[in-house]
Amino acid sequence: MSSVEITAEMLAPSEPYQEDNGVYWFSYDGLKVRELAKAMNAVQARFVTITTYQLPKDEGFRLEYHWDLNGRLLGFTFNLQGSSIESRKIESIWDLCEAVDWIEREVHEEYGIEFTGREYEPLLLRPGDTPGVNMRETAAPAPAKQVEVAK
Amino acid sequence: MSYKIPMGPYHPGLEEPYKLDMICDGETVTDARLHIGFNFRGIEHLAETRNYVQVIALMERVCGICSFIHTLTLCQAMEKLTGFETPPRAKYIRVVMAELERLHSHVLWAGIAAKLMGFKTMFMTCFELREKVMDVLQAISGNRVNYSMNCVGGVNRDIADPAALVEMVDELEREMVKKVIPIFTTSATALSRCAGIGVLTHEKALSCAAVGPVARASGVNQDLRRDAPYAAYEEMNFEVPVQPDGDVKARLLVRALEILESCKILRQALTKMPPGELVCGDGKFNFLKVVMKTATSRVEAPRGEVFYSVSWRDGSRNPARVHVRTPTFANMPAIRYMVMGARLADTPLIQASIDPCYSCTDR
Repeated sequence: MSSVEITAEMLAPSEPYQEDNGVYWFSYDGLKVRELAKAMNAVQARFVTITTYQLPKDEGFRLEYHWDLNGRLLGFTFNLQGSSIESRKIESIWDLCEAVDWIEREVHEEYGIEFTGREYEPLLLRPGDTPGVNMRETAAPAPAKQVEVAK
Repeated sequence: MSYKIPMGPYHPGLEEPYKLDMICDGETVTDARLHIGFNFRGIEHLAETRNYVQVIALMERVCGICSFIHTLTLCQAMEKLTGFETPPRAKYIRVVMAELERLHSHVLWAGIAAKLMGFKTMFMTCFELREKVMDVLQAISGNRVNYSMNCVGGVNRDIADPAALVEMVDELEREMVKKVIPIFTTSATALSRCAGIGVLTHEKALSCAAVGPVARASGVNQDLRRDAPYAAYEEMNFEVPVQPDGDVKARLLVRALEILESCKILRQALTKMPPGELVCGDGKFNFLKVVMKTATSRVEAPRGEVFYSVSWRDGSRNPARVHVRTPTFANMPAIRYMVMGARLADTPLIQASIDPCYSCTDR
């Protein structure tokens, strides 16, 4: 779906959104994140954030992109299936949407997800550490030590 | 010849530990890079280890100044998951607390800005005003920070005599109109440090997706209280101050005018507060019945939009995910454009003009 088609649908009188608890979700198979970003620029929507969910077992990740259009919160979901490093990739939209820079860097640093087509500055969260690893796995808390209590 | 000046993470010119690497040509800043992450706490991850009661107390500690806003946003998202409807009185109390918090945050910022301008008398005046607001917050909640006011489905404490607080609002408004606003807008000291300094253009504010007073001072007319009302804001009558210049003075003016609008909202909320319950269903709920779902909530904090996305697994006591997007996280990258072309001596004030909250950013 091209950005022109997405924009046309967004501006159509019968909006293709599904409202759920105040978020207007737009679902379309084969939606490309860069086409989406171009469409959001065309309708002058304000970027809000990306929320990342690590799915159970080896199902991969779900990325929810949010934009604000005149006070209406729009939601778009992208699934990254599989937990291998190769599957943890999605195109960056930084060159199209400047506001996405820090959150792409944060998601990259927290979950090891690679936003392709961009360079990363030094780490935001852990200066000096290895970039692009899943912090949930590498920084999982160690089991609590047994402390001997004085009798 | 250009040279690099690192400012921070620990620097007398900065209120909090972030780092700004500035490329300078003489006294003029030509480019800058911002670095955060010096105090990253991993609160989002920690939230997954807390149950539905503990997580409220945890998220209250994301920020020391807008702690009420964080629990309000979280509780609103959790109310969407449970299907709870907050009672009308609780909605009004939430508006009162949110506006008191805005007053205290804006007056605190005005004091810090005055200090950075070298205007110590004004700093003292602002902090004296702030203290009066803090007294009211303490009288309502019992605490000066981390008020523990919000719970799922309502609020924990009542405001026994709302009309008695109107006098405080009137006094604060008088002081602002008589002292603070005229001095900030007419004094040569303030104007020489603020006018035309640290400009964020309207186009850059849009492309950086700036929020709150920073965006409104660059001519972006947005405010969630009006555009996507929550709590009892739909029933309030108020204006959204917008300034076109985008400089430090515009940001100062927007916050000053917002203080007056907050007083207007407070007066309405306190006089029109309906009687009734504080919590939906006496606060009894069973979170274990919540099916796997995600809910989001947004609130206009003193610094701009706060966004929470909360996800719950079937029958779990703990959230599966809590994502927080704070206003400073959205506004901070814009500092780069504000300091470009500025004099080096102005950069501490320019950075402070976005009212940065490092605690929120490094949540």
